[in-house]
Amino acid sequence: MRYALNFWINMEKTMSTRNNIPTINDVIIPIEEFAVVQENVIFKEALEEMSYSNIGIVCIVDEKNNLLGIITDGDIRRKLLKVQKPFSAFLIDNALDHAALNPLTIYATTTLKEAVSLMEKKGIWDMPVINEDGKLIGLLHLHPVVKALLQL
Amino acid sequence: MDKKIIKVGYGGVEKVFIGENQELAFLGGPCAIENKDHAFKMADLIGEICHKVNIPWIYKSCYDKDCRSSPESFHGLGLDHGLRILSDIRTEFGVPVVSDFSEPEWGKATGEVCDMVQVPAYLCRQTSILRAAAETNRPIHLKKGQYMSPWNMKNSVRKIEAFGNDQIVLADRGTFFGYNMLVNDMKSFPIMAETGYPVCFDATHSIQLPTSMGNVSGGQREFIPHLVRAAAATGINALFMEVHDNPSQALSDANTVLDIKYLENILNQAKAVHEVRLELLDKYGENNVHQE
Repeated sequence: MRYALNFWINMEKTMSTRNNIPTINDVIIPIEEFAVVQENVIFKEALEEMSYSNIGIVCIVDEKNNLLGIITDGDIRRKLLKVQKPFSAFLIDNALDHAALNPLTIYATTTLKEAVSLMEKKGIWDMPVINEDGKLIGLLHLHPVVKALLQL
Repeated sequence: MDKKIIKVGYGGVEKVFIGENQELAFLGGPCAIENKDHAFKMADLIGEICHKVNIPWIYKSCYDKDCRSSPESFHGLGLDHGLRILSDIRTEFGVPVVSDFSEPEWGKATGEVCDMVQVPAYLCRQTSILRAAAETNRPIHLKKGQYMSPWNMKNSVRKIEAFGNDQIVLADRGTFFGYNMLVNDMKSFPIMAETGYPVCFDATHSIQLPTSMGNVSGGQREFIPHLVRAAAATGINALFMEVHDNPSQALSDANTVLDIKYLENILNQAKAVHEVRLELLDKYGENNVHQE
């Protein structure tokens, strides 16, 4: 796991020195440690970034880091069953053409309990974290949350 | 994807706009510059017809034919001599000109004279040619290789963009259908148009039978009007045809160039179909059938 390696190590350190209930900031994966691509990438490049990160989501941003859309493992599965064009044509489409354009996002100020409840309710593993300007600042991924809670 | 309109023409020549909701543009001329007199004669004859049909025109002719089937075939007048003639045609007729180039180091000189530079189909994915074309800062006529899928042309487009040029027209000149045979997939036009750039139909190369005559390419000219009407109805922004006053004696592509006696007839049809298509789009909209 290349992307979130530093994140996991840091989280381990932080969590080991405290015993109180983790906050959302303890478990947000920072932006440089999961798959984030620019809006001009093709679908194949977005998939490569996802595979590289080992997390089933890629966030697509513009040059000012505004979140434009996301593609998840589930989106790809559904696309594979739906898209009729040749695979080579599918892979060279703009990633944004196959992205969910209004994904569920949260603010870092949300409590961890609220965030996890929302993920449970929606049956999702990942939620991009944005600031009040709509700019992507991180990712809430269920595994670090589970790990943090298990350490309590 | 925003639709781009490409302006062709610098200095005093007539400007041609290629793109969405524009008039159909015509790129045409003899395949090769044979000599100055012939190049001028063709410019005169084609110019008169384009004026009569009222179609925007870019004069096309090449100074070097590097993809001939035989080493004995006419190779062209060469860079300096050819570009001098093209420059004179611009001045004399006030028409923008386009020529291809097959060596990256010829790009600069070609771009200094020509209003538009053309990337040959066989070389359409060669990075060094695409870079040289981009660096001319002229609009680029990028032909889809006969071996390329229309969607993969996006890679060539992305290369040109990465080299700093976003003035591109994508052309279909047919796709290999087995050996020595081309077919036109009309889907290539909407697919290539997804890049946001205008698309062009190269009618006279599409009916080529590549190297079907042993060491020369053949062609089935009788299909030109059928394919032109089909392409214009499908949706193109420009039409490309090589034209000659005496095809059997043409020094290049003798089996595919269109006899000039048919030019007016075909341009009128292409223009009429194009205008009907724009009217239909206006009335019914575009892309009104979706996959899901």
